[in-house]
Amino acid sequence: MKKNYFKWLVFMFFSITTVLAQENSISGLVTDTSGEPLIGVNVIEKGTNNGAQTDFDGYFTLNVDVEKTIVFSFIGYVSVEREISDSNNSYDVQLQEDASELQEVVVTGYSRRNKTVQTSAVVSISASEIAELTPSTSIDNLIQGKAAGVQVTAANGKPGEGAFVRIRGVGSLSAGASSPLYIVDGSVVREQDLGTISNQDIENLSILKDAATTARYGSRGANGVVVITTKSGNRNKDAEIRFSSRFGYSERIQPNFDVMDASQKMQYEAELYSLGISAASNSPGVTTLPGSPERQFLLDYQTDWQDLMLKDGYIQSNNVSMSGGMENMDYYFSVGYDKNGGIIDQLDGFERINTRLNLNFDAKDWLKIGVNVGYSRSTSDEPRDRNNVQNPFRAMYDYNAYETEFELDENGSPILDENGNPIYTPTHTTFNVRGALLSEPSFEIKNNFLSSVDAEIMFSDNFSYGFNTSINSLNRRTESYSKPGGILDSIIGDPDNPGNKLDTGNYYFDMTMSNRLNYSYLSDSHNLNVMGLFEYNYNESNGYNLRSIGFPSELLTTQINAAQVTSASTTKNILTLVSYGMFADYDFEQKYLASASVRYDGSSNFGKDTRWGLFYSGSLGWNIAKEDFFNVDEINDLKLRASYGTVGNRNGISRYAAQDNVSFGSYPGGSATIPSNIGNPELKWETTATTNIGIEFNLLNRRIRGVADYFVRNTTDLLFAIPTSDEAGVGSIFGNLGEIQNKGFELSLQGDIIRNNDWKWTLGGNIFFLDHEIVELPDGEDVIPDNAYNILFREGAMINEHYLVRYAGVDPNNGAPLYFGADGEVYRAGDLPEGENRVLQGKSTIADQEGGFFTDLNYKGWGLRADFVFKSGNWINNFVRSNLNSDGINIDDNQALSAFNYWQQPGDTNVQPSPIYQNEANSVNSDRFLEKGDYIRMRNITFSYTFPSELLDKIPFNSLRLYVQGQNLLTFTEFYGDPEVGISSGETINFANTVAPGEATLYSYPNTKSINFGIDLSF
Amino acid sequence: MKKIYKIFIPMIIFAGLFLSCDDELNQLPYDEFATENAYVTAQDFENGLRGVYSALTRGGLYGSSDAGSLLSAPDVLADNVTLSQRGRFSKRTLHDYEYNSNSTLGGTYSDAYALIFRANQILFYVQNFEGESKNNIIAEAKALRALAHFNLVTFFGKIPTQSGDANTSLGVAYVQEPDPNIEPARLSVAESYTKILEDLQDAKTKINPVNPVGRMNVDAVNVLLSRVYLYMGEWQNSIDAANQVDYQIAARDNVVGVWEDTNRDGLIFYIPNVDPILGNSIGVTWSQGSMTSLIPEYVTSFQLFSLFSDDDIRKDAYTFEGLSGGNAYNGIKKLFGRPGQTNGEVDYKIFRAAEVYLNKAEAYFNLGNETSARSALDELRTRRYLNSPNSETGVDLRDAIRSERRLEFAFEYQRFFDLKRWGLSVNRTNAGDQADGSGTPSDVLNLESGSTLFQLPLSQQSFRCKP
Repeated sequence: MKKNYFKWLVFMFFSITTVLAQENSISGLVTDTSGEPLIGVNVIEKGTNNGAQTDFDGYFTLNVDVEKTIVFSFIGYVSVEREISDSNNSYDVQLQEDASELQEVVVTGYSRRNKTVQTSAVVSISASEIAELTPSTSIDNLIQGKAAGVQVTAANGKPGEGAFVRIRGVGSLSAGASSPLYIVDGSVVREQDLGTISNQDIENLSILKDAATTARYGSRGANGVVVITTKSGNRNKDAEIRFSSRFGYSERIQPNFDVMDASQKMQYEAELYSLGISAASNSPGVTTLPGSPERQFLLDYQTDWQDLMLKDGYIQSNNVSMSGGMENMDYYFSVGYDKNGGIIDQLDGFERINTRLNLNFDAKDWLKIGVNVGYSRSTSDEPRDRNNVQNPFRAMYDYNAYETEFELDENGSPILDENGNPIYTPTHTTFNVRGALLSEPSFEIKNNFLSSVDAEIMFSDNFSYGFNTSINSLNRRTESYSKPGGILDSIIGDPDNPGNKLDTGNYYFDMTMSNRLNYSYLSDSHNLNVMGLFEYNYNESNGYNLRSIGFPSELLTTQINAAQVTSASTTKNILTLVSYGMFADYDFEQKYLASASVRYDGSSNFGKDTRWGLFYSGSLGWNIAKEDFFNVDEINDLKLRASYGTVGNRNGISRYAAQDNVSFGSYPGGSATIPSNIGNPELKWETTATTNIGIEFNLLNRRIRGVADYFVRNTTDLLFAIPTSDEAGVGSIFGNLGEIQNKGFELSLQGDIIRNNDWKWTLGGNIFFLDHEIVELPDGEDVIPDNAYNILFREGAMINEHYLVRYAGVDPNNGAPLYFGADGEVYRAGDLPEGENRVLQGKSTIADQEGGFFTDLNYKGWGLRADFVFKSGNWINNFVRSNLNSDGINIDDNQALSAFNYWQQPGDTNVQPSPIYQNEANSVNSDRFLEKGDYIRMRNITFSYTFPSELLDKIPFNSLRLYVQGQNLLTFTEFYGDPEVGISSGETINFANTVAPGEATLYSYPNTKSINFGIDLSF
Repeated sequence: MKKIYKIFIPMIIFAGLFLSCDDELNQLPYDEFATENAYVTAQDFENGLRGVYSALTRGGLYGSSDAGSLLSAPDVLADNVTLSQRGRFSKRTLHDYEYNSNSTLGGTYSDAYALIFRANQILFYVQNFEGESKNNIIAEAKALRALAHFNLVTFFGKIPTQSGDANTSLGVAYVQEPDPNIEPARLSVAESYTKILEDLQDAKTKINPVNPVGRMNVDAVNVLLSRVYLYMGEWQNSIDAANQVDYQIAARDNVVGVWEDTNRDGLIFYIPNVDPILGNSIGVTWSQGSMTSLIPEYVTSFQLFSLFSDDDIRKDAYTFEGLSGGNAYNGIKKLFGRPGQTNGEVDYKIFRAAEVYLNKAEAYFNLGNETSARSALDELRTRRYLNSPNSETGVDLRDAIRSERRLEFAFEYQRFFDLKRWGLSVNRTNAGDQADGSGTPSDVLNLESGSTLFQLPLSQQSFRCKP
């Protein structure tokens, strides 16, 4: 009995004479039918909360009174009871697998369903799996490679930043409308806010992929649903205290290319100057002579800007939880702290503190109450993520090695200003980011309160009524300060009013109230569950934006001290949803399965007469292996299932898109009326119909487990900002036009290669093949979407194809860049045929194959697990590469070493164009730097040791696990730079607005690799 | 029984929370206002007119844009500026005539039609308005609509005097109704100008003699009329319109102050640009930073700089020497900032009295009236030089008028159109970007007259259905 080690010592001291006579210390081994030890089996004295769990080797010990009964229970197995006799201290027990509880429960939001009888394509990830996976701060990153059909693209490497999750392709052509619906304990959480939730608190994460389950979310499930439930305690179990901690460091994943050092860059400048590039004439490679003292000075004091700008970031994560329960209630309590310093020298990165309390109790025999509340506060430094001179990740490539951080005197010592501080050089970009990181601080704070209160009333064994209110209250604010006299202030500031402060914020409130009426009927062979739903969702967003100038000291950062307010505004908008639903699940002897749902939803952002949508689904399943006639010993389970259904989407349009509106600006003399929205009163739901066929199987004593699915998703009435002609002067109007289709095949397989008492080796993986097409567009006309660079939508093409002129290489005779005209002939840039020469080539930003695989090897307490993710078939426009190989057009900026590889003499092939044709090369928007984004990355490798019970007996812990983990340590790719590209440039196209994640590289926060040491213990 | 009772009470209470839910689906915006309610009262129409004017400050028109706008493009496309090697290379594709039909001045095109839509919306709703300000509302809306169309047709079409085929070549679509779904056809240049004149003539008769600051009045309409007639080659009409403007050219002593907003001498139509009403840093289009640490996008071309004689007050008013990276540059001062400021925040100057006299000089010369031409020219020159040149005749007089127009309206949205309508080539010298003419010259030095590149390309998004 370890969890109350100290208490027990005290207790035994006092009761040594009397108690010993009445209690028995019993022990034993719990195994399954094949004799393998079962870990984590609950061994509880019946009717009390005195209990224990079996350890890694299946052993338990427990102090119990004689003649009491103990219960052995374990999910998926039939419980066993034993009476304690004083003559026996050893109770070895074998548990039988419970066919009805074969595997984990699948959480579909409104209900929990046993996996055996559920008929939908659902992937469920449990707490134990989450604990073993990547120690990322955000949940969505963690899904990558875990679920077939789910495509995950990390937004960027910024600490705390999330990922773009796309379930079964891109379901909408509007920005922000293709993300799945995230439900955390009944509350809707936006994809960009998932970083506020601690991984440690998650009990289960279920990804609903097909309409059989997503249709229950009718209005909003069109792009799949991710249902996250947080942990709760176990009933009749004494408090268990868990402590998890890890620490480590992260660094940038080294790029697979080199930039020039000082001498190389000056040589390059001299070469270009000799070619006649006059822009090189002022560069040190021309103005200083090789061997001269001036040149030597530059070489002596050269700077490795990447080294200077970046650091190794410190990572720390601590979490304490306490959980347990009595007969009528259970509880889970946790506190967590996470810190990730990021890789920018001078900045602090990301920090989060979170608390949670989950309580369930039976208030009366007919009333159950559940309360889940969680609060988190995260703080994140926000470096400029913009494609300009303020971006540190652009600056570290652009600054030449012969430029220095500080102004130097002739001895190479920094020159000091009147306050004794070294003076930053302006650099050739006129903006020194090193100085700006200190003088332009910017950060974001998110305070997130998630609460869910549930009451369930049992009328009879068959009828129950539930009422739930879930609230997501998110308070987000940002502060950006240009300190008086700082780098930016001295360029664009007002000398009379130095300093500039911007405060913005958003209060986001989302409340879902639902009424459920449940009917269930259970007999030996029939199992029926019917639920009626009435739900109301209210979402309100309030924003503010304040800017002032004129700060007397850089230490004063609040606007109350500012001399002048230059802008101030507040905003407010509301979105509501009313839903009626009816869902039914039925199975006959767990062999024949059927489900159906219908849901009727009205949303406030559509036209008054068109706002209601009807969504429905039906699904069937057949557990063949349960049939009497089926007796193939090798096949333990075999299930066929099929589903069809429709689901809606209302994202991607503004909240008042159906109404004709104006807004007001200011103009000398008073208000200025500005048409803000051309209304479309017929705006209605975008609808996705999904057909799914799947098979699930377990073979050879369930050593081999697999799931395969084929689906077709058709999305019609696409919500779309339909462009009008430029002459109309109104931009675009929201409407429903167009159709897209996603088709795919998903396969996931796992196998236990070795499975015995000492060894266990499991291999597994999943793969997803995706095919997608734009079937119909408004008026059949091409559409160039906003919030992308070179994407064109065209009927018959794939979604998110790059639209560029084809590069035809370099003319070996003269070094000029060549291009394909629309006619397929090769031309110089100036000779390209009139009209459009850009073409679609079937190169999309969306991977057509994606997945992951893992190996998990265990020997006694030792474990070695590696997880890989891979992606292929997507194309990335590599703007960073283009800037580093600019043919000299960016001669002032540092260049990659590969820029030396330009055409020099007739016959040169496999080279870049001669710099003398830089303007030609610069004038054509071509696919010269469009690259395949294929990669395989070792996302995680963990080496761990779990202490066996023999050792634990000597220390006051219930369980103890030590591990060392590496993240992103290996990458295999031919891409120039890091292939994991999500956001190109966060201030140009932000997370929520990104239409085509991974379209281009443009100096967003680089991805990092990390090494962590961790400990998990409980007592 | 009692138990059932107890169970039902909470259920009824919970369900009761939802009774009025369906009404919750009728949401009205908080940050916006229904269009039909926005154009009712006289005050509404004043707000509406200011909305049209505010479109003038958009990035494609008199606002600053790195892609080029009405504020910068007529100089960037011509010979008054040289690309600086110390800036961000903004507007480079314009300066190098590397047009991209999808993006080059696309903002100017769509912003002009956005302004036109706002004007048309007023003209639509004002039909049911019978207040005493009705005429002036119509007049201002039409004047602005004409101004926007005129700017469009000068960029994207030929100018009537440019070449013999200009009038029959393609102009622009003239949009006169607020129809979001309109897909209008392009008119010819002659038809476009006819429509512009119709609007301006109507505006001239209805507009107030005096309107609030930042708004057009009858003088502003006449300046524009004078310019339109000049572009059309209707010399006498141009003179007649100019003669109706009663405004003095800024005095020599006031010229520097005009561009630092310390006086308004000679300004007929300008838009105050002050925080927090507008407060836009439009000078960013030419440079950022201070005079001692300048980040110039473009500098005064050495060719233009050399044209300013030392006793020409405009040399100080329009240019300055700025330092950047240890080198000196001839910065562009017109939008640099108010006294002590370098933030590029100055008023938008749209029409000035000087144009009236330069239009007259040019029109009189073309009518063969050299005396009147010279005297109009001297009205300006005596207010710019200490010892102004005078007494030219014939071609010398013509060139003097042209040269004075270039100097007076340098960096002021005219030069490219002037070269274009005179049928002249753009000839840049190969002097560099630095103050003494050294450094790096612009990439492209010439644009031959007659080149199709004098007409900016229209994007595919425009005229998607109609050729």
